[in-house]
Amino acid sequence: MKRAADEQTQNDGPKLKRIKLVTKGPSEAMEVDSRGGEDVENVDGNGVSRPAAVRSNTINLSALHKKLVQAKAVPTKAVAREPLAPLETVTKKQQESLVQRIFRDRDWSNLKLKPDHAARPLWINPEDRTLILEAFSPIAEQAQDFLVAIAEPVSRPEFIHEYKLTTYSLYAAVSVGLETNDILEVLNRYSKVPVPDSIAKFIRDCTASYGKVKLVLKHNKYYVESSHPDLIQKLLRDPIIRGARIIEDNTVTSTSAKPSMAPPGERHADPSKAAASNEKQAQDVFSEVIGADRDDLEEDDINISFQIDDARIDDVKKQCTELEYPMLEEYDFRNDLINPNLEIDLKPATVIRPYQEKSLSKMFGNGRARSGIIVLPCGAGKTLVGITAACTIKKSCLVLCTSSVSVMQWRQQFMMWSNVANHQISVFTADQKEKFAGESGIVISTYHMIANTHNRSHESKKMMDFLTSREWGFILLDEVHVVPATMFRKVVTTIKAHSKLGLTATLVREDDKVVDLNYMIGPKLYEANWMDLAKKGHIANVQCAEVWCPMTSEFYAEYLKQDIRKRMLLYFMNPEKFQACQFLINYHEKRGDKIIVFSDNVYALQAYAKRLNKMYIHGATPQAERMRVLQHFQNNPNVNTIFLSKVGDTSIDLPEATCLIQISSHFGSRRQEAQRLGRILRAKRRNDEGFNAFFYSLVSKDTSEMYYSTKRQQFLIDQGYSFKVITELDGMKTMPGLVYKTKDEQIELMQEVLTAKDSDADLGADVKAGEDDLAGTITSKHFGFPSAGATRTSGSLAAMAGGAHMSFREQNKSANRMIGKEGGTSASGAVRNKLFVNRDRQQTQLKKGM
Amino acid sequence: MKAVKGVLITCDAAVKQILLQMNERRREDNYFVIEDLDQTHLLIKADEEEGMRQELEVELEKNTYSMEP
Repeated sequence: MKRAADEQTQNDGPKLKRIKLVTKGPSEAMEVDSRGGEDVENVDGNGVSRPAAVRSNTINLSALHKKLVQAKAVPTKAVAREPLAPLETVTKKQQESLVQRIFRDRDWSNLKLKPDHAARPLWINPEDRTLILEAFSPIAEQAQDFLVAIAEPVSRPEFIHEYKLTTYSLYAAVSVGLETNDILEVLNRYSKVPVPDSIAKFIRDCTASYGKVKLVLKHNKYYVESSHPDLIQKLLRDPIIRGARIIEDNTVTSTSAKPSMAPPGERHADPSKAAASNEKQAQDVFSEVIGADRDDLEEDDINISFQIDDARIDDVKKQCTELEYPMLEEYDFRNDLINPNLEIDLKPATVIRPYQEKSLSKMFGNGRARSGIIVLPCGAGKTLVGITAACTIKKSCLVLCTSSVSVMQWRQQFMMWSNVANHQISVFTADQKEKFAGESGIVISTYHMIANTHNRSHESKKMMDFLTSREWGFILLDEVHVVPATMFRKVVTTIKAHSKLGLTATLVREDDKVVDLNYMIGPKLYEANWMDLAKKGHIANVQCAEVWCPMTSEFYAEYLKQDIRKRMLLYFMNPEKFQACQFLINYHEKRGDKIIVFSDNVYALQAYAKRLNKMYIHGATPQAERMRVLQHFQNNPNVNTIFLSKVGDTSIDLPEATCLIQISSHFGSRRQEAQRLGRILRAKRRNDEGFNAFFYSLVSKDTSEMYYSTKRQQFLIDQGYSFKVITELDGMKTMPGLVYKTKDEQIELMQEVLTAKDSDADLGADVKAGEDDLAGTITSKHFGFPSAGATRTSGSLAAMAGGAHMSFREQNKSANRMIGKEGGTSASGAVRNKLFVNRDRQQTQLKKGM
Repeated sequence: MKAVKGVLITCDAAVKQILLQMNERRREDNYFVIEDLDQTHLLIKADEEEGMRQELEVELEKNTYSMEP
């Protein structure tokens, strides 16, 4: 529906066609400005006609002010409108044809608008269940809170937000505690049209079935539980679920085996009901086996359950979801007396921000812990949310992250924010295998360590036995979006946990596996609005820009001739890009920014860094050197720029930066783009008025990089960021000391690129996953290099960049040849054909003559 | 050699390279570029202009990402 927003801007001026639409249909959505008059009546009149909820809302001042300005503008608009009045009487047919041309099959003019629609901010598309919110409406903020709870945010730019109702989002709504009628009522309150029947039915259908089936963990065994016997029967009729069911040995033979088949946990937890439940279950099983229909077993307060196989738990979950009875996973941790408590609390000094609290309130809404996913931007304190959740549940907790570097970060954060004692927290990685002391505690590990099944050392096997043998109160899954589904399945099935919380910044995957997370972990509980957080100062305000660097004609000619791998190198190494990069670095260093330059391509990274005489880190950089470079960047006022390869994406705990330049990147990965942006979102501490962080992507024009670049930006655009396109950097060409200024140098550079190895075009090739890092994620725990002989100072970098006389001279030769071929074009590119030179001369003469 | 009607094309350097590339891909007797004048100018056969424009459009479209599948 981004198109709708576009149309809105295009339709801004009062035009004939649009005014005609005024008389009917939701097409008025596109009509914000010229209908200001009506808005004023509705809002200022403090509306008899306005619904209760709307009236009770306070209207913020700026909105009122806006309305006032609009009211002032009304007279002129009225004038503009008068001559058009007769047009409103144009026959209906004509109107329809006009509307249809613009909206085609998305013409919802048959929906009747409410009389006070102008005060309500929401449009509903009855067919694809899209909700369009006018984010400029005074009550938009409350509407947003509600919409985030019931629908998936699709796109949230400044003025028009798009949401979509999905089955999962509605499940999430129910699990958060909203009821069907509440949803419908509130939706109706915000909507400009009465909620269409199709939508109402969809909401009823989705919400009715949720929560009837529960997945319960008792004594390390999973049970499916429900208070509706017919439902259990129905589920058992399904072949997949039946196949996963575990029937205890002696239960089937006769009803005399009753006691043995009761899940032991049930007796502990609920002795009064256990017997009844046993019987029920036995009868249930009995009826199943003999095929008799015993429908007289309907007492609502009794839970029926059957045990299912651990290994097939998520098949069952998936199947239940498909049968439209998604399983509810809730953990009543306060009443869990079986698992020992872990006495940890947040330190008193720890402050939780409002949005963090809100996200947690969705998780612990009814005093129990729900499983689900919380989505917060990078740098907004996901870790603290996780830690707070762990401190709330106060049971043994397992934290899984993607790399051993983040394992250490988590551990350190736990120590920082909570009063967990040293012996209660332990780490399980390839290097460190410790158990916590006492009967409860925290274990931090990586997905890989848990999911890996082969080649386990004796020690880690022992550790795994320890992990699988116990019941966990809480499992925290960091960066859930990167974990492959199969690995998740392993983790979920081997580790018995009462509740799961997934944390991520970007719930997008290039392979659209996000849906799987819905049944493996749970629904999305909360998703923060990036723009909102930026406005409130929790994350930095970022100016995004895409800088278009034209390819020089030599590079482009070569680009067209080469295969894909060389092409990539050519557009990474485009001299114009070099210059733009140099210019931006210079500019921002003068402003006092700390700059990180990202390049996925190591070849380009080294070339840039050496040429521009900056420090750089890539996968092959030894650990000691990395630390030194990072320390310099952090503390040395003379080192304001570092170049990073993919290692910077996740595996380095990067210091703060305020400016980020991207010279090459991993194709169209939206996630990477968002994650990189996250690197500068933390820069909020310099939150003076008008302070901005900067995010530049350098793109070589007319190459496939343009394609990827646009694709990468989609996620951020949906979060409300807008990318400015810079086609020319002012003052770049005149900058002193500009690199690759002459054609000779450029051609030299091209020769270098063309003679580069094919493998040099690889992206992120420098980063190899460590033993316990997650495959496929960008990690490096790469201590494998002897750090001894590789002491390199910035001085030697300079030497390598500038002092490579030999190669310069040699390549000049071929560059000369190149020039010969091109027919003596020179640096400025301004040499013109004789024909035009003559014409120019004639034209100047003509001008003089006049 | 008989006279050929030509059209003067003014374009940016990159597009010129694309055009030359397109030209290269054709068979010898089918070249549409008559003369490569300088960085931003080409002389092409007049009756090839329309086809050239379409082909160029396709070429440029490859680098554009669009939301529609």
